[in-house]
Amino acid sequence: MSQLIVRKLIVDERNELFDAQGMKYAEFPSEYARIREFSSALLEECPERFREGTLLEQQVSEIIKNAVKHGNKSDPAKRVRVWYDLRRRVRLIVEDEGEGFLELDDWNAFLVRRQTALHNQDFDEFLQLASWKGKNSTPDDGGNSLIAALEYWNGGMVFNAARNKVGVVRWYSNGSA
Amino acid sequence: MKLRSGDAGGFDTVFLHGDCDLYSAPKMRNAVVKRIDTGIRRLRLDFEGVSYLDSTGVGAIIQILQAMKVVSGDVVFRGLHGAPRKVLELSNVISLMKIESDGGER
Repeated sequence: MSQLIVRKLIVDERNELFDAQGMKYAEFPSEYARIREFSSALLEECPERFREGTLLEQQVSEIIKNAVKHGNKSDPAKRVRVWYDLRRRVRLIVEDEGEGFLELDDWNAFLVRRQTALHNQDFDEFLQLASWKGKNSTPDDGGNSLIAALEYWNGGMVFNAARNKVGVVRWYSNGSA
Repeated sequence: MKLRSGDAGGFDTVFLHGDCDLYSAPKMRNAVVKRIDTGIRRLRLDFEGVSYLDSTGVGAIIQILQAMKVVSGDVVFRGLHGAPRKVLELSNVISLMKIESDGGER
């Protein structure tokens, strides 16, 4: 059987993904009903070859949603700050005003259990572990956005020390990732 | 998102049209789970009309699979394409799904 390799969320305050030099800036109120509108606005000038249908918009929307819903608890008085660069690749830095993703280490441990079940083809176990349920999760939370994000953001996904700011990058070559 | 239902090949079929996202997916999940609760045991979800699927939509699919598992029923999917299919691959959830092609179940 092939070796199991599980990616994980990392915390690295000094990571180069937090260097916002030369990036554009936007900020939004934490209005849950406008998450997709905000995400779409960030990508107005995005080259078509980066979009991959609706995939890029969806992945950006997940990061904005996590900031609005889980970070700022959908409090419109709290802001989501975004730095973005859509030139040679897609880079984003998204910061909220929340207490940070305090369950990050638990989430990494969950992902190891989940991916181990998948690796072992234990689909009954995998079905039970398919969605992350943290202490603040609601029934409507998909519980899988970070799992897909770790794969999608192929150049890295990093949290700051406070865990309320994330930097991501997706690289492309010859028009596709 | 709009849902339309029908019956084909012994499967109760739900055709989905529109974005399956953080706003619409919970309603879709509730409508489909309600069908399972009323006794449907062979269910097909047709995603041909869906071009946007996010993590809430993926979560809804997981919850439908879990609900059907409890009653030992069968749920198959068809019409998955483009970004929605890619999202299911990125989250590995596609490995839990029976995918039907035009020629039948894979």
